[in-house]
Amino acid sequence: MSTPRSATNKAMPRAGRALALLLLAALALLTVFPFYWMFVLATHTRETIFAAPPPLLFGDALQRNYEGLVATLPFWRNMWNSVYVAGMATVTTLFFCSLAGFAFALYEFRGRNLLFGFLVASLTFPQLLNIIPYYLIIDFLGWLDTPRALWFPGMASAFGIFLMRQYIASAINRDLLDAARIDGATEFRIYWSVALPLIRPALATLALLTFIGQWNNFLGPLVILRSRTTFTLPLALRSLQGLINTDWGVVILGTALAVVPLLVLFFFASRQVIEGLTAGAVKG
Amino acid sequence: MQAKARQLLLAAALLLLPGAFAQTQISIGLFPDLDSHVNAILEQFQAENPDIKVEVRVLQHGDHHTALVTNLATGSGAADVVAIDVGFIARFVADGGLVDLNAAPYNASQYQDLFAEYAWLQSSTTDGRLIAMPTDLGPGVMFYRRDRFEQVGASIDDVIKDWDSYVEFGRQVTRDTDGDGKVDVFLIADASDVARAIMRSNIAAGDGVFFDAAGNAVVESDRFKEAFRVAKEIRDAGLDARIGSWTNEWYEAFKRGTVATQLSGAWLLGHLQNWMAPETAGLWGASDLPNGIYGSWGGSFYGIPEQSQNKEAAWKLVQFLTTRPDVQLAAFERIGAFPAVTSTYGDPLFDEEIPFLANQKARQLFARVAQNIEGRATNPGDQIAEEIVNSALSQVLDEGRSIDEALAEAQRLISRRAR
Amino acid sequence: MTTGSRTTTRRPSPAKGAPAGGAPVNGTPVNGVYARTFRWHRWQRRWAPYLFVSPFFILFAVFGLFPTLFSIYLSFQSWNPVQGLGSMKWVGVENYQFLLTDPWFWKSLRNTIWIALASGIPQHVIAIPLAFVLVSGVRGALRHPLTAAYFLPYITSTVAVAIVFNTIFGTQFGLLNWAIDGLASWPVTAWLFSGIKESLPINWLGRAPYIKPAISILVAWKYFGFNVVLYSAGLATIPREYHEAAMVDGASPLQRFWHITLPLLRPMMFFAVTLTIIGNLQLFDEPFILTNRTGGPSESGLTLAMYLYRTGFEWLDMGTAAAMAWVLFLVIGTATIVHFLLSGRRGLERRE
Repeated sequence: MSTPRSATNKAMPRAGRALALLLLAALALLTVFPFYWMFVLATHTRETIFAAPPPLLFGDALQRNYEGLVATLPFWRNMWNSVYVAGMATVTTLFFCSLAGFAFALYEFRGRNLLFGFLVASLTFPQLLNIIPYYLIIDFLGWLDTPRALWFPGMASAFGIFLMRQYIASAINRDLLDAARIDGATEFRIYWSVALPLIRPALATLALLTFIGQWNNFLGPLVILRSRTTFTLPLALRSLQGLINTDWGVVILGTALAVVPLLVLFFFASRQVIEGLTAGAVKG
Repeated sequence: MQAKARQLLLAAALLLLPGAFAQTQISIGLFPDLDSHVNAILEQFQAENPDIKVEVRVLQHGDHHTALVTNLATGSGAADVVAIDVGFIARFVADGGLVDLNAAPYNASQYQDLFAEYAWLQSSTTDGRLIAMPTDLGPGVMFYRRDRFEQVGASIDDVIKDWDSYVEFGRQVTRDTDGDGKVDVFLIADASDVARAIMRSNIAAGDGVFFDAAGNAVVESDRFKEAFRVAKEIRDAGLDARIGSWTNEWYEAFKRGTVATQLSGAWLLGHLQNWMAPETAGLWGASDLPNGIYGSWGGSFYGIPEQSQNKEAAWKLVQFLTTRPDVQLAAFERIGAFPAVTSTYGDPLFDEEIPFLANQKARQLFARVAQNIEGRATNPGDQIAEEIVNSALSQVLDEGRSIDEALAEAQRLISRRAR
Repeated sequence: MTTGSRTTTRRPSPAKGAPAGGAPVNGTPVNGVYARTFRWHRWQRRWAPYLFVSPFFILFAVFGLFPTLFSIYLSFQSWNPVQGLGSMKWVGVENYQFLLTDPWFWKSLRNTIWIALASGIPQHVIAIPLAFVLVSGVRGALRHPLTAAYFLPYITSTVAVAIVFNTIFGTQFGLLNWAIDGLASWPVTAWLFSGIKESLPINWLGRAPYIKPAISILVAWKYFGFNVVLYSAGLATIPREYHEAAMVDGASPLQRFWHITLPLLRPMMFFAVTLTIIGNLQLFDEPFILTNRTGGPSESGLTLAMYLYRTGFEWLDMGTAAAMAWVLFLVIGTATIVHFLLSGRRGLERRE
């Protein structure tokens, strides 16, 4: 086949690369198109949304849909609730999961394998099952209709710890810790000053996953939150998507606006996450 | 100077405090489209009751009831006034968690004569408690396209004589009108609508739809077999469009006149003329259901959870929404919620011609149907039984399962599920 | 862990819990302030890992373990939560017995496995070669936007996605039917779609045979990008020298993919497939919202998790729901163990 070219990492022949690129681009188009379409529909009324052929270009009902949206929902309040819940969840999860992942990855301590096995096993447990007892506990604590009921129980998630452990185990050499210990650092200090900076890419990944997870969480808020003013966005949107007479232009505009913060976040953070993952891996 | 200022402050505080304390904050939990009505009428309520402040909470229909179940179970989180759909009412009748409105200080029985009897019975328990006040009804009628009837020369009275004549009309009206090789007019959106109408009629006295007076499931009875048989006949003959309710295809079918008839609650009129198919005004008519049956499609209630801390204010709101003819009529006009208060049926509104139905005075028909619906037993298992029977129905219609087999299995599942 | 007095060697011995003792690293005599510091260091070193992992276990005990234990107890009860704790009634294994004879249970189990496979397999079959091509064949400037595009569906809320896909799956005005019709009528692609054209317009969400495919399309679309990112990260950890050495030996891209990439990707595959198994068998949001909480005609889109929710929260039969959760747990556990055995020990090992 082609001779390996010098210097660069050209791993594929040129024709193959062009074809592959074409396929990749087509697939990317397929994944992105529904988002484009969502924004298109957000500017249409129900009459033009459900027409044949479906609208593919922007319409003129944006203003009308927006007025409908803010008239039906305390939309920006709902947006803030989502930001708050997802933000708190992210900050606390990053800390507790990286801390536990650090311990599981780099320490030999009695019961470690047992505890970690337990943690992994807890991942397989159907979340749904816990909803009523979970609700009873939240009620017992007097946390109904409060955002903290949504982020507090999941601060140290098994998934986050699992992810962190896997990354730290491959990214940090134990020698580094010993070097720090020689300098007299406490274990927490080592975690904070030595480990954390080295696992930034994984932290970014976990932050993104946590934020997204909480932002999109539906079942939890449904059970916990009661009033329109404490609703997070998915609940608020679902309350619009009623049994009857759904104003689809309004619903889809709300949907689009609910997705925008994630798109913005991802636009800026994705590079760090993906390049971080790649860079960290190359070093390993 | 200083003392005077202090006195003034004290006086001001004394003036302000009672007002601040007197205002009671209550909440009302609703599902759409009740919120449209309540939000609009609330101004009037608060003008009459300046000491009560009402917060409106809305959830999607199913989410609302699921959340209500959890809230009543754990004794907290529910609104002070909660709306309950008729499909769930028997469940709450059985399970409790809502105050008995017949007891003091509510004494709701004083209002009993205002309401359509069957609705009142639906939220009453066998031991004489009333767990919610009826607010609207769904008298079952048939809406039909006059133009489709004319095209095949059918008269409405002949068509609704019995189910055979209804199916026979279906064979005439279901066809390809524009010659493109595809059938574009059907008898009805979905054959299962017919089965649901039949299984809800000719119920033996004392029985409910799915359970007899003793609480045994009765879905293997002839009533269900007949319902399934007629539905299957319609499906096998290709007379239904196989379009599910509340889908975009459904709305479009009404717009285009794809379905010649639809069996439904009277409230469908509001939806048809307001947003589903306003451009078809004048093409529609309303009639009794075929075979002379009376049935109800939907209906809602307001109850007060026992956990409410403001039952007195909550009761005021419930009374306002359910017993006041003017408020009931406002809901009828705004969202097509047919009043549960029968005294409203004498209102001039009921004599008005409805342009959408080619100037038919259809509200009189609705009122007559509402008054003819007989009270029947409800059972906490109604909701479960309905889901299981619907599943059996789709097995028969879609998968060709035999009626007897499907109903026998439904009977077994209902007996276990509704234990 | 313990460096002991071997101040010159940095290589740690895999020591167990407590340090073996020994002089402080700089060789200062053990006395006075140094001794206190030393004891503190020893103490905190010993207990730090327990402290670090404790938040999870405390929270799990309160919000996870207790509910779990409660649900074991529940699964042997007949309990309607609305009637209060007093209405709980011991029924033994009746709940489990009923499930085994419940046609809805078996149907939802079949649905779940069907959807898990139909949406899960394509995710990985597409994601692995895609990630390979992405990492090895696409220049940096292009690679990122492409990866980001694939990842986009994953970050979108299920409610949002379902709302948009409800319109995409529409019968008469759905984009999907419209696109299929277009492709079936276009001479270049007509042959591919010749069989489908007759059944247009497809009622994706209203007819039993199409619901599972519709759900699977949505799930695969939503999550394949997540796997692409995982595999890209895994691929990037493979030292470039391996590929360079193989290229010098004249290995084709396909050979390199097969003999270098796949074997070295195994830890990440194990991780990613585990997540897919666990996630797909608990599938709830997507079918719940696409079928408007019913499961669709003849329950053909009803998953086990949905049936569990319906039994417990809509039919208020918490005992049977709890029993079902344990059966679901068993199904997930079995699938995970089978997967573990099939991938072998190597799947778990850290690449060195």
